[in-house]
Amino acid sequence: MKKMVVGIGVLLCLLLWFSSCGTRIDDAEQPAGTDLLEEEKELVEEGDNYIVVGISQVGSESDWRIACTESLKSTFTQENGYYLIFEDAQQKQENQLKTMRDFILQEVDYIILDPIVETGWDAVLKEAKDAGIPVILVDRQVKVSDESLYTAWVGSDFHSQGVKAGRWLENYLEEQGRGRDKIRIVTLQGTLNSTAQLGRTDGFASVMEEHDNWTMLARRDGDFTQTKGQEVMEDFLNTYPDIDVVVSENDNMTFGAIEAIEAAGKTCGPDGDIIILSFDAGRAALEAMAEGKINADFECNPNLGPEVSRIIQKLELGNQVEKFQYIRETYFDPTMDLESVIEVRTY
Amino acid sequence: MSKGFGSKMKNISDTNLLLTITIVVFFLMYIGAMLFLGEGFLKPQALFNILNANAALIILSCGMSIVMITGGIDISVGGVTALISMCCAVYLDKAGGSVAVSVLIALLIGLGFGLVQGFLVAYLEIQPFIVSLAGMFFARGMTTIVNTEPFNVANEAFVALKNTRIIVPGMGSVNRLGNYVDAYVEIGVIVALLIVILLFCVLKWTKLGRNFYAVGGNSQSALMLGINVKRTKFIAHLLCGILAGVGGFVYFLHVGSGSPSHASGAEMNAIASSIIGGTMLTGGVGNIIGTFFGVLSLSTIQNIVSSAGLDQAWWTGITVAAMLCLFLVIQSVVMAARKKGNVK
Amino acid sequence: MQTNETKKAGASSFLGRMVRKQVMIPLAALLLLFLFNLIVDPSFFKIELGYNSAGNPVLSGFLITILDSGSELAILAIGMTLVTAATGGQDISVGATTAIAGSVLLRVLCGTNSRPETLQAPIIVAFLVACVVAMLFGAFNGVLVAVFKIQPMIATLILYTAGRSIAAWINNNELPVVSDETLTYFGEFIPGIPIPTPFFIAVACMIVIGLVLKFTNLRLYTQAVGINENSSKLNGLNPVFIKILSFVILGLCVAVVGLIKVARISTINYSVIAKDIEMDAILAVALGGNALSGGKFNMTASIIGAYVIQCLTTTLYKFQVRSDALPAYKAIVVIVLVIVSAPVVREKFNAFMAKRKVKEAA
Repeated sequence: MKKMVVGIGVLLCLLLWFSSCGTRIDDAEQPAGTDLLEEEKELVEEGDNYIVVGISQVGSESDWRIACTESLKSTFTQENGYYLIFEDAQQKQENQLKTMRDFILQEVDYIILDPIVETGWDAVLKEAKDAGIPVILVDRQVKVSDESLYTAWVGSDFHSQGVKAGRWLENYLEEQGRGRDKIRIVTLQGTLNSTAQLGRTDGFASVMEEHDNWTMLARRDGDFTQTKGQEVMEDFLNTYPDIDVVVSENDNMTFGAIEAIEAAGKTCGPDGDIIILSFDAGRAALEAMAEGKINADFECNPNLGPEVSRIIQKLELGNQVEKFQYIRETYFDPTMDLESVIEVRTY
Repeated sequence: MSKGFGSKMKNISDTNLLLTITIVVFFLMYIGAMLFLGEGFLKPQALFNILNANAALIILSCGMSIVMITGGIDISVGGVTALISMCCAVYLDKAGGSVAVSVLIALLIGLGFGLVQGFLVAYLEIQPFIVSLAGMFFARGMTTIVNTEPFNVANEAFVALKNTRIIVPGMGSVNRLGNYVDAYVEIGVIVALLIVILLFCVLKWTKLGRNFYAVGGNSQSALMLGINVKRTKFIAHLLCGILAGVGGFVYFLHVGSGSPSHASGAEMNAIASSIIGGTMLTGGVGNIIGTFFGVLSLSTIQNIVSSAGLDQAWWTGITVAAMLCLFLVIQSVVMAARKKGNVK
Repeated sequence: MQTNETKKAGASSFLGRMVRKQVMIPLAALLLLFLFNLIVDPSFFKIELGYNSAGNPVLSGFLITILDSGSELAILAIGMTLVTAATGGQDISVGATTAIAGSVLLRVLCGTNSRPETLQAPIIVAFLVACVVAMLFGAFNGVLVAVFKIQPMIATLILYTAGRSIAAWINNNELPVVSDETLTYFGEFIPGIPIPTPFFIAVACMIVIGLVLKFTNLRLYTQAVGINENSSKLNGLNPVFIKILSFVILGLCVAVVGLIKVARISTINYSVIAKDIEMDAILAVALGGNALSGGKFNMTASIIGAYVIQCLTTTLYKFQVRSDALPAYKAIVVIVLVIVSAPVVREKFNAFMAKRKVKEAA
């Protein structure tokens, strides 16, 4: 008898648990208090109402990635006519592959993939293609044997960021009347062979070629981290006493570099000895700029949602889309109204 | 009537009772998912996808269950899996080796870990937790010493094997383009199922299997029964090591890449699966079929979380923990109730 | 001749007695590590007085690094020793609950805004709240272990899986940043004092637990429960209470560690904070020569064990071992240590020595 009671208790517990699962869904997805299950059934019956989008995100390892996730989530809302299934792969390709297969099985309308690595996607992209689900890549690219396996790619043009930095420096030096002076530059590179590092280094180098009076004293790997950036910068300052410009390929390394420069008793920024160019333009960097420590910061825009949505709308109408879409990006320097930029900065 | 039911319950062994609970819960969960979440879960391929993704975990959990039945634990299996993936990947990609040899490498690594850990636990009587903790540290560290960067293997023979699919007849479905898509499983699933069946038979019908239970239940009385306790423990760890070797290769076959972060947390998933499958860490109680369903339950709940639109990856952790908690409490309550009943 | 022999025998018996002392195990390991460093590169022991960016005097050097970074581990080792002794099992959720404690701390400090200009609550209030929460989670583990009789490692597996998720959930998955000078004092230096604060916190914890063990019956009760639960019950102890208490004390230690961890970086990263620290804490207990199956314990040995681990880590770092590869070397040292201190091996060794002595005598 007792065991039976226990057994029934167990079942009740489970039921309770399941129903609590259900309420949790309501809480998470339904602010207006509508019943999700009915919503789902509706979805099944008249699937045309919503465009079902499955997103497989790399993870939430950096502020940039979190801002990117936020942008995608705020774009693909039910008010905008989307039903979003979001999956965080926690830095693992196997999770992304599993998620993709689940999406294919659920027959979502579109898959958005931010691939963690460039290789190993052939099989699953083929499956998506066979199932008639367009795959839109964001941020990072993939290496596949057949380019038609994915529909489009949206992301940053790192090369043009590098070029932009070069052009900005060109103008700035002109304005300062140092256009003909000898300019000594060092570069803190990002993790070697990463897309961002290659693009930014090449882009800046292409502008450098036009200027005989610019010399690149050294380029070294700072691994995109603050500590490594600081170490490398300390070394630079010891080796080269007369650095004019520091190009730091992301904000974190810039922070490290600023610490190293200040520890060495030098100053940087618009009023300082050393010109600092940084990339990413996160909120913290803009704040540092407002304090007068960074000369210019070149944005790496995480706001990919609207562009992806535009592509999907085009595809819905049966139009062709461009295979590679670069996101619009800008730069910041202290001549702008930084206060108001920082106000609305999400990352 | 209830009395009849009760006495019938009493006749079921602890192992079988816990097994029954696991299987019932799994089916309830899956049917619930089919009813409420529809779409994806209705297709047989959904189940096969779970199997494909978890073939390695099934094998690792089987090894874990055996060790746990003898009253030990092995938390090195995840690290060993990562090490095997990395070694095989480096061997296949950088040294251009053959697939057959890479299988051998995987088995040897697993065997090595099993031998050393088994020896330390059984013959030097060092706590299995500490031994396998060191094993985990060693395996994880070695993985990054072998190679630090994650990379995909491009070896053609290997990729062909990785992409080999075994069609399950009559289980396919029609997709939205109107094409019929066959349902499939990967090779690893077949390996996993064979191992489950094999180990089930070993545990059920061989002397060795009964020794495992005896040693875990009470090693003192096992000793009096003339069982070589040390050797039995050694064999359990050895078996777990070999299974980690097989599981490691199956994992490698599934992901096709080497990475230091591979299979992170796999040991905890294996332990959780074993527990949900009705194996008790105190030893002497457990079942391979239960472990199999434990793995399925664990990944089904993860799938439910994701298709229910609970977007945060964090939810997975919380739900799995809730499930674990539930099972532990159920097991504890049921066992306590039974003990009381027996005393009466 | 004869005096020589008696001297030798006396020395060996003295050595034998020393070797048998539990606290010698970690001490010997520590000495060995120091000796190794002394021979290979004596600069390991160099301590320099410098000035940090704020112009305050700070000590730096590898020994200071060990004292500084070893603090968290030493504090956790205190609680872990008690849990091990009372329950015969280990808590593997301390890393995850540290994340929870840190998250709670930041949540209280930041209020609703994730990047506040000023603190929304005094640090002491936030810390107390974190203590209460961490102790509650400790009690949760304790109840599962003591009341439901679940193996400690398995019971804490629950929070191990869910802890970091809960931590993220407490702050809505945001990463709050606190820009407050006072908070950094707990993780770095108090202006004017050149020794890192975490070390003082660790010492304070040690003194507190030392006093508690000296003036209360905690040690006796814990060991009694750990050695034989049933007989302790017959002697009028309440094993359930003692077990839960040990987990609650561990929870308190976890909250302190959470404070230090958060103060070090003024923010939190849920998936990385205090990662794998549970393994190191258990190791510290084991290196201290305590039986992981419960019963008698030696707190001093555990704490020294914690510093041994930190010393090992720092030594390896000094030799430019990549942080990812670190565990491999650690594993080798651990295995050597546990083999040497394994009862079976010692027995064999003693038997061997005795045999030799007999031979010598003959």
